[in-house]
Amino acid sequence: MALSALVALALTVVPVPLALDVLRPDFLVLVVFYWSIESPRAGGLGLAFLAGLALDVINGVVLGQHALALTLMAAWATHLRLRLRVFSVLSQSLTIFALLTGYQFILFWVDGATGNPVTSFSRWLAPVIGALLWPLLAGTMARLHER
Amino acid sequence: MVAFRNSDNSGRTTGLLLRCVLYSLLALGLMIVDKRYDHLGKIRRLLSIVAYPVQVAVESPFEGWNWFRESITTRDALRADKARLEAELRVAQFRLQRYEALEAETQRLRALRDSTAGVSNRFIIGDIMDVDLDAFRARVLVDKGARDGVFVGQAVLDSGGVFGQVARVEQLTSEVILISDAAHAIPVQINRNGLRTIAVGTGDSSRLKLPYLPTSADVIAGDLLVTSGLGGGFPAGYPVGTIAEVKRDPSQSLADVDVRPAAQLDRSRELMFVWLKPGAALPAASTSAAPAAPVPSGVARPAVISPASAPASAPAGAPAGAPDAAAKRAKAPSGPPPRAPEGANDE
Repeated sequence: MALSALVALALTVVPVPLALDVLRPDFLVLVVFYWSIESPRAGGLGLAFLAGLALDVINGVVLGQHALALTLMAAWATHLRLRLRVFSVLSQSLTIFALLTGYQFILFWVDGATGNPVTSFSRWLAPVIGALLWPLLAGTMARLHER
Repeated sequence: MVAFRNSDNSGRTTGLLLRCVLYSLLALGLMIVDKRYDHLGKIRRLLSIVAYPVQVAVESPFEGWNWFRESITTRDALRADKARLEAELRVAQFRLQRYEALEAETQRLRALRDSTAGVSNRFIIGDIMDVDLDAFRARVLVDKGARDGVFVGQAVLDSGGVFGQVARVEQLTSEVILISDAAHAIPVQINRNGLRTIAVGTGDSSRLKLPYLPTSADVIAGDLLVTSGLGGGFPAGYPVGTIAEVKRDPSQSLADVDVRPAAQLDRSRELMFVWLKPGAALPAASTSAAPAAPVPSGVARPAVISPASAPASAPAGAPAGAPDAAAKRAKAPSGPPPRAPEGANDE
């Protein structure tokens, strides 16, 4: 679990061309969602909070912003987990899309409240990409997890 | 949220809710403390030391690849490189001869005018780390930090001109906000006529804008913008950019001016952190050492360079009283722009 979080953190900062950077999905967020749904006892909200803090430090934003967003959304994911597990792939992706959008919305709101709003529209691309990536990522992680 | 409850699960749901509220309150508290007070610097620094290995690990394959590519370049390529560099050095030295004469003259004139232009007399060179920060903000991470004496607000240059300023300092790294960041503004003046204004970033690394120039301002495409040194953050006289386009709409009171940055904001690898001595006297006519000039990037890797001529020998002209005069000059015109209170808007 810690390993997957570290890999996701590395993927978050690995350099890519600027055009691709806005398309980068929130790997760490997806990994936290995966653990919240798969085995909430393993990491739980503590993992979400710590991962959020790591994102805050790396992004250099006000401390607690990502932590708040990730905690709330991970809690929601944990709440939904029993239903999510029996969902079809499509509805899972849609749910993840909703969670990621909520996550971005909280970030957006805190950005605005702390006085450095990011109005660029491209920030709302990340949930779409993340939702599209979800089946692949969840499948890979489940396979690795079973071993 | 409609709760999904049955008998064996309700306890866990309340537990989840409790923990969620707890962590959220913790995060909110952190945000408020971080925003309102400045006590979290140490915690943040500690956390960033934890994050540093990840950043280095991510960077290392790229470093390795660069090293590999360099080590397999052929002898011919190296010779061609050497010939080119020698030619460049000759041209640069030729220019430098003139530069020294010009600088001496400038300093004489400045001393006459009792000017306060700050002199940067020390700088270190830092490398941009191959690490992407927030995609929506123009920031880069550089491998020099508090350990090297870097401080928040420090001016950062590259070989072309002004690059940005230090926004955040960690123990080993620092974060530089580019002049093109939408939240950044820098006091500038037009080199041709001395017209002072503020250049504001747009978020696009190939464009700045001058939002506070009246339609009647004397500005034409191709004008060079240099730092004015007002506000004390940046050393004066370094190129910021050239005017790319001036759009004048007679129905508006302000012109719409686009600037192309002089620094290679999206290509530079090496940056110079400058120590500026605001109000420090200009070193007397001895211009033998001139490290204050923008040095081509990639000079002298081992970093700290101090000039031979320390500002010990101060000319009588520009002592400490002068910054006030500059500040008064800056504040004199009515209606300074709201975003940069120290800068002045017009002549």
